[in-house]
Amino acid sequence: MADEGWEPELGELRERQRAAQAMGGQEKVALQIARGKLPVRERIARLLDEGSFREIGSIAGTGQYAADGTLQSFCPSNMLFGRGRIDGRACVVSGDDFTVRGGAADAAIHEKIVQAEQMASELRLPLVRLLDGTGGGGSVRTLETSGHTYVPAMPGWNWVVDNLATVPVVALGLGPIAGLGAARLVSSHYSLLDRTQGLMFVAGPAIVSALGQQVTKEELGAAEMHAQTGAVDDLADDEADAFAKTRRFLSYLPSSVDALADRVPSGDPPDRCEPDLDRVVPRDRRRVYKMRRILDAVLDRGSFFEIGRQWGRSAITGLARLDGWSVAVIASDPMHYGGAWTADAAQKLVRFVELAQTFHLPVVHLVDIPGFLVGVQAEQAGTIRHGARALASVYQATVPWCTVIVRKAFGVAGAAMANHTRFRYRCAWPSGDWGSLPVEGGLDAAYKSELAASPDPAERRRQIEVRLGRARSPFRTAEKFLVEEIIVPRETRPFLCEFARLAAPLLRPGRSAFGLRP
Amino acid sequence: MPRFVVKSTMAGTVARLEVERDEMVVSEQTLLFLEVMKMEIPVESPAVGRIVTVHVDTGDLVAQGQPLVTLEN
Repeated sequence: MADEGWEPELGELRERQRAAQAMGGQEKVALQIARGKLPVRERIARLLDEGSFREIGSIAGTGQYAADGTLQSFCPSNMLFGRGRIDGRACVVSGDDFTVRGGAADAAIHEKIVQAEQMASELRLPLVRLLDGTGGGGSVRTLETSGHTYVPAMPGWNWVVDNLATVPVVALGLGPIAGLGAARLVSSHYSLLDRTQGLMFVAGPAIVSALGQQVTKEELGAAEMHAQTGAVDDLADDEADAFAKTRRFLSYLPSSVDALADRVPSGDPPDRCEPDLDRVVPRDRRRVYKMRRILDAVLDRGSFFEIGRQWGRSAITGLARLDGWSVAVIASDPMHYGGAWTADAAQKLVRFVELAQTFHLPVVHLVDIPGFLVGVQAEQAGTIRHGARALASVYQATVPWCTVIVRKAFGVAGAAMANHTRFRYRCAWPSGDWGSLPVEGGLDAAYKSELAASPDPAERRRQIEVRLGRARSPFRTAEKFLVEEIIVPRETRPFLCEFARLAAPLLRPGRSAFGLRP
Repeated sequence: MPRFVVKSTMAGTVARLEVERDEMVVSEQTLLFLEVMKMEIPVESPAVGRIVTVHVDTGDLVAQGQPLVTLEN
């Protein structure tokens, strides 16, 4: 005879799941929507492939019980996570629920945060964090409920740090993000703030005002500001854009360091030549040009995915494909400080080279570097230390590396185009112009006494410039084999595609000697 | 009509102005040139619009973030 079975328990399970699905309740969810933000479950549904979300800890929260032990009410924990798929590939997703106590610690179950991070690490799956609120950060309210305080420690931070050297981590700031939430946002390989709703601060305006600085939350933590300082990588126009950018970013990377990125044939012929490139660099050294147009012309069509456009602008960084192979692209932007390395451009380069090294992406570097930015402000910004750090990351990288000198390469920053002690897969355009110092900047210092002794210093200066100009031809450098090849610019794409093909079999999965630090 | 301010993304010297007040400009049109690192770098209009104010003059030193031109569209 069959007994009644487990129907009562199955009923309770359904009931608890239904309660958790309600998030912070109708009113709070309606408020979230009125603010222009999606409820967390909707966010997860829109990010992942349809119907692929499998939640873990789906009934975790805090129950209130009657004297007889029956469940009276239930408040779900304010962070949920699980596995799902993005473009068919398994991943881990975690999402803060702002509708439950604004994401604060008193409604958090910290072990869920730990498990989400650990799951990504141990299953070697990409991790996407959807952040909204304080990310389980502290609130002084906790003092009253727990009756004691604690020495601060961040749950699962060992995994957060380790994941930066193990699996791709994307973090999206989809609301006001503070404290621990802010630390979780920037501790990623790719962080975005939603420009309509995203704000980020260590501490919000209420706390800052209590310390005497009266500011609005926009003055304190505007998304635009953080994208310009590089606190986050980029901005998303809205949540849909944030999800689209997440999918795109992940498409260039392997699921973990134990794999290599997939090749995705683009249909763009690898031998495609672009005649316009022969004329793109102006002969007049004072004039500049648009590097992004060169990138569009030489990379697989439509494949360039720029990262960090609003900060460290003299260096362009992004992921792309060459004959279908995933590559990390660095290029100078002469439209910003002439392409000179600023302190923030150097910081951006460190971050990007470490990303390429971690996930085994060959690097392609299109060079137009007149040097480090010079002057009082540049010195005050600590340019040389940040620049030397960029040099260190370039010299420590072991992924295949290819350089195309489009125009300038001067001084220490110019020399940092590649680790010159490795085999140099390198070429230059005929517009190449290089040395320790540009003639324009270095002439007066080098010929100071000769110019001072001259009856007509201006004329003397002009004569010296002409003399030096003759030795400046890139062909004289190539004649001495101090640059490997000078190519016709239109043939740059075939040169790069061949590099990508040669690099592919050299890539080795595994943990890099150094991981990425936020 | 919405107004927006084109701010300098870098420090430099205004080499020359390419537009004046009330002029209509199109997206990516050069508004002025900044001299930086011995090069003349164009500052382009981010959108179609009419120039309401030109905040700087030839020879001015500008800092990063300083307003250069106000547009209205």
